[in-house]
Formats: sequence, structure tokens, C-alpha cells
Amino acid sequence: MIEVKDLVRQFKSGDRTIKPVNGVSFELEKGTLASIVGKSGSGKSTLLSLLGALDKPTSGDVVVDGVSLAGLPAGKLTEYRRRDIGFVFQQFNLIPNLSAVDNVMLPMEFAGMRKAARLERARSLLEQVQLDPEKQSRRINKLSGGEQQRVAIARALANEPKLILADEPTGNLDEQTGEHIIELLSSLSRDHNTTILVVTHDRSLAQKTERRFRLQQGKLSEETVRPRVAAGA
Amino acid sequence: MSVLARSVGNAFRNKIRTAAVVAVLAVAIGLALAMLVANQAVGGKVQELNASVGTVLTVNPAGAQGFDGGGEPLTTAQTATAAAVPNVVSVVGTKALRLETATAASASTTGTTAQQAGPGGGPGGGTSVTTNLQAAIDAGTLGNRNNTSGSTGSGNTGTGNTGTAPTFSLPITATGIGAEVDTAGKALNITSGTGLGDYTVASTKALVGTTLATKNNLKAGSTFTIAGKTFTVAGIFDAGTTFGNNAVYTTLAEAQALAATPGELSSMVVTVNSMANVDAAKTALQTALGSSKADVTQGQRNLDTAVSSLDSVKNISLVAFIAALGTAGLIILLIMVMLVRERRREIGVLKAIGARNRTIGLQFVLEALVLVALGSVVGAAIASVASGGIASALISSNSSTAATSQRGPGGGGFGGAGLPGGGGPFGGASQLLTSVTASASPGVIAAGVAAVFGVAVVGALVPALLTARIRPIEVLRGE
Ligand SMILES: Nc1ncnc2c1ncn2[C@@H]1O[C@H](COP(=O)(O)OP(=O)(O)O)[C@@H](O)[C@H]1O
Ligand SMILES: [Mg+2]
Repeated sequence: MIEVKDLVRQFKSGDRTIKPVNGVSFELEKGTLASIVGKSGSGKSTLLSLLGALDKPTSGDVVVDGVSLAGLPAGKLTEYRRRDIGFVFQQFNLIPNLSAVDNVMLPMEFAGMRKAARLERARSLLEQVQLDPEKQSRRINKLSGGEQQRVAIARALANEPKLILADEPTGNLDEQTGEHIIELLSSLSRDHNTTILVVTHDRSLAQKTERRFRLQQGKLSEETVRPRVAAGA
Repeated sequence: MSVLARSVGNAFRNKIRTAAVVAVLAVAIGLALAMLVANQAVGGKVQELNASVGTVLTVNPAGAQGFDGGGEPLTTAQTATAAAVPNVVSVVGTKALRLETATAASASTTGTTAQQAGPGGGPGGGTSVTTNLQAAIDAGTLGNRNNTSGSTGSGNTGTGNTGTAPTFSLPITATGIGAEVDTAGKALNITSGTGLGDYTVASTKALVGTTLATKNNLKAGSTFTIAGKTFTVAGIFDAGTTFGNNAVYTTLAEAQALAATPGELSSMVVTVNSMANVDAAKTALQTALGSSKADVTQGQRNLDTAVSSLDSVKNISLVAFIAALGTAGLIILLIMVMLVRERRREIGVLKAIGARNRTIGLQFVLEALVLVALGSVVGAAIASVASGGIASALISSNSSTAATSQRGPGGGGFGGAGLPGGGGPFGGASQLLTSVTASASPGVIAAGVAAVFGVAVVGALVPALLTARIRPIEVLRGE
């Protein structure tokens, strides 16, 4: 259960202050697949970075399963990112000189998991995101965009996080590949009962999520809640 | 995949750049190591030098040195005066004899066995006696030239010797010594046989230089004659120079008896307890003996220039070592700062997926150490090849003046001021300069590499700490 309470993030650009996130509040139940749409520059990435503790809000708070991020020291925020959050980025952000398996194993290494266990779990996760088995040991920069994003999703799942934050995960992919990725996220949210928040400016992709938010002028508004649509249906 | 494996992988991410960095590091590290090796070698030499001859003073009769000059001889009684001077540890008297070889003696008119050196205030301290030994040095150009001038001075003119010198052969130096040291105060290096035992009593035992022994087929136990008296070779010594090895040592009392000048000394070798007291002791000694009677010289005076030039080489090499070490550290620092800046976003990724600051910092330090390790391997190879050359280049460029000015008359002539034994203070300086051998010992290289790693860790720590300041939000840069 994620509770977002009156989040504000302001930036100073020159002598002007901008507030891409200006009083955002919402709650997400465990296992929900939600989306945020909004124009480019509307503050979607800023909001996501606050939820994932990549950045600190100017004011407001994020409470995850009863724990408030506002009161946590840097070390605990690192632990929060490691254990509770999985990130998927538009630009994949994998480590280019490592293999697919090694990339997926990284968060587990940081969490102190033993090597054999890491390897086994990484292989199983890469299987779940449907990466060809022979590509598991391939270096990241020898994989296509869609394949890289699958690896990134597997990495996000590595430590069984409570919340996966995906920032335009299909932005660098062609339409068909993008659809596959969304389907993958959707099925993962169902199978793992993981809360997933996807930022996209593609409305048709947003249509496939249970809850849809729109970020505009720093405020979040929600479209009517409707029952979940089966992925790909 | 461990942190170390990742660091090694990262170090080779850009192979061309890695090769360039390693090459530059290797030059700096190689230079640092070579300088350290040179420093150690020169330091060792200076120490050895100070320990052996640095504290030795030589006392000659006022107005005479070796076989030249005039004045009154030194006496055994004066050794007691010298020994009473503060800081003086030991006083060894010497009595020099010039051994005329049989051919040279027959060419002279008188033919007497114990021929007092020429009239007219010629050689003061030296006394000529005959021997059946053959000199180990050929006369050569220097010898003949020296003989010509020498014979004019010693009153041999008119014997038909002038102009034709085919029969001329060099004399051999025999020195009576009061202890087992050469005339420069250095302990004799006896290569076979034994010493003479008690050096203060007369004995027909003698020590013979290596080349002289070879020339005359002498071994420990062989016999030869001086002034018709039979001597037994007790041991063979190596003075390290051709001139020094064309010599014979007997006990002091024996030499005095041979010269029929009991109680007379050619010189005294005075050892002072420490380098720091040498100057004071020299002044005190001069006062105690009286400047009209004795000349006190620092046997090591000529070596002084050599020691001080060696000392400056030592300092230069130390400064160069530190500078090269600092350069290696700086190279690592700059490279790592560059890498951190370049991988800003990647560091953001690592933080976003939960890496601790210390994990990332460690990864960068290890990456730096991988580069340093490679640089050290190549650098050590460079150093072991180059250190000898660098050391001798440093020494010759730094002391060429000192070395050339001291080469002096070492060619075997006795017309000059060459003292017998040990090459004398003149031959010594240039000799010691060439004898500094800088060999890259594994211990020194290991110590140097350890210093390099120490500096590298410091150099890499700064950028590693910089990574801690990079915020995880950097992951979104450029998106
Ligand atoms: N670190 C920053 N400093 C100043 N302005 C920023 C910073 N990060 C984001 N912004 C601004 O905040 C606004 C929202 O950016 P962002 O959240 O990236 O938008 P979106 O992801 O919706 O395209 C933009 O106008 C952007 O320029
Ligand atoms: Mg964005």
C-alpha cells in the first residue's frame, strides 16, 4: 500500500520557480497496475523520482506500508530503493559491459544474496520476461532495445519489490515491441501481485491499465476507475 | 560477478585508453622505481665510504709526501702525541720503501744495496732497496716519462741512463705498516693466506699484491728477497687497483730495520671516531704535532667531493622518486576523476538499483588499483632495465668535474704524488664513482611498488569519494 501525501517538488530555474509537482496526493493498493499520462515536461519523471526516493520532495511525504520516507536517512533510502523499488527506464539504463544475467544479478548482489542463488533467480527472471536463453550471457550492448527492456524489467523484479516504477518503458521501442512490454508488465503485476506505476504519453497503452492518472500543471487527476481489462484483450 | 570482477572489467572497458593510461603510469612508476633503486645504491655507497675512509686523517712530514719533498721525518714518538688528541681512535704508522728491481739496480752506478735517495733535498721519506721481484706494471709512456724526470732529480744523471731507457723497469712499493690497513687507513683485503700477526715487531713475513704475486709466481709460503734478506709470503691482498697491487707490505718494525731508520715514519694514518669530529680532530692534530713538523691531510679530502656529489645524486634521486611517485598519484587521480564524470549516469543507475556508496567507491578504487598494478608490472620491468643506466648517468653528469680532476697520476709513475696501496686518495674518487652499481633488488622494487600503491589509493580515494556525492537522480539525466 502506497500513500502519497501532498507532494511538492519545486525547481529554481534562473529567478523563476517551477513546481512540476505541486500538491499531489493518491493511494495505490497492492497489486495495482496504474498509469500516469501527461505532456512532455509536465513533471511525470519528477513525480516518479520522488516515489522511488531518487530525489527528495520540497514538501509532502510518501508512505510505503506505513513507513514514511520523509523521516529516513540516506542509508535507509538506499535500502528502500534496493528492497522495495524496481525501476524501469525509457533508456533501459543497464550496465553496458555486463551480460544480461550479470545485470539482473546486480541488485541481488547489493542485497547480499549468495552467488548461486543470484544466478538461479536471474535465469528464472530472464525466462519470465521471455529473453531467449542463449542471449542471457550476451553483453547488453549486443541486445536489441526490446530485449534490453526485458532485461531491465527482470532486473527491476530481482529483489521482489513492493513497487515497480516504469518511466516511459516503451518510449524507445517500436509500437509492437512496446505493446509486448506493457503486456509483460501487466501479467507480472497479476502473477507477482506487484504494484506497478507506468508513466507514458501513449494513451492507448494507458488504456490497458486499471487506474489512469493525468498530471497537469503540477496536479494529478484520475480518470474513472474501471475494472481491470485483461492484458491484450 | 563480484565488485573486484566488475572493477577489472571496467578497467578494460576502453582497451586503447587503458593501454595509454598504463603506458603513462608505467613511465612514471618505472621512473619512481629506478630513482628509488639509484637512491638506495648511492646511499649504500655513501654509507660504506663514510664507514671506511670518511674518518681517516693522514699525517705526512711537513714538506714531504710519499717519496717527494724534504724536511724532518716523523717518529714513532709522535704517534703517541697523535693518539692523545681527542676523538682519535687509532694511529697507525707506515714506513715506505722503494724496491728497485734487479735490472734497475744494476743500471745504477753505485750498486749499493741500501741506496739513500738522492742528494740535494730529493725524496725525503722513501728509501730504495733492491729486490728480486719483478714489477707487475710495464713502464709504458707514463713510467718512462716519470723515470726521466725522476732520475734527473735523484742525481743519476751522467750514468748513460738519459736518452736510452730500455733497461728501465718500475720500482715496487714496500710499506711497513703498524696495523692491517693500507696507507689510506682501509682494512686490507687479504684474498689468500693470512695477515702478518703482530705488525709492530720485525718479521720476515710479507703481504704481496695480487698482480705482483702473479707476475712473480708467488703464493702464500713462497719466498723472495728484499735487500738480500729472504721474506716469506704470508698472504696475498687485493687493493682494487693495478698500482695498489704492485706493492708489498711488511711489519712497520721490519721496514724501519730495512731502511736502517729505526723509529722513523713516512706517514701516520689516524682514524677519528666519527665524521662529525673529523674537522675538529684535524685541527687539534695539526696543533699537537706542530705545523713545522707535520702536515695533516684528510685522507678522504679528495673523496669529499665524491661523497658530496654522491650525496647530491642521492638527494636528486630522492626528489625525483617522490616527484615521479606524485606524478603517478596525480595521473591516477585525474584519470579516475575523468572516469567518474564520464560514468556519472551509470553511477546514478547503480544508486537507483540500491548500491551503497561504499560499494561504488570500492569499485572505483579497485579499478584504479588494477590500472596501477598493470602500470607497476610494466614500470618494474622498465626500472630493472633502466635503473643501472639512470644511476650511472646521474652520477657521471653530476660528478664529471670531480671525477676527471682526480684521476691524477695513477699510471704507475712514482715521480708524481701517488701514494702506495689502496690506489691512494687520488685514484679513489673516480674509482668509487664507477663502482656504484645500481642493481634493482626485489626488496627495493617491492618497497617502491608498495609506495606506488599507497599513493594510488590516496589518488583514487578522492574520485571514489566524489562518487558518493553523485545523486541517484543522475540516472534520469538526458532523458
Ligand atoms: N533538476 C532540475 N532542475 C530544474 N528543472 C528541472 C529539473 N528536473 C526537472 N526539471 C523541470 O521540471 C519539469 C518536469 O520535468 P520532468 O519531470 O522530466 O517532465 P516529464 O517527465 O513529464 O517530461 C520540466 O520543466 C523540467 O525542465
Ligand atoms: Mg520524463
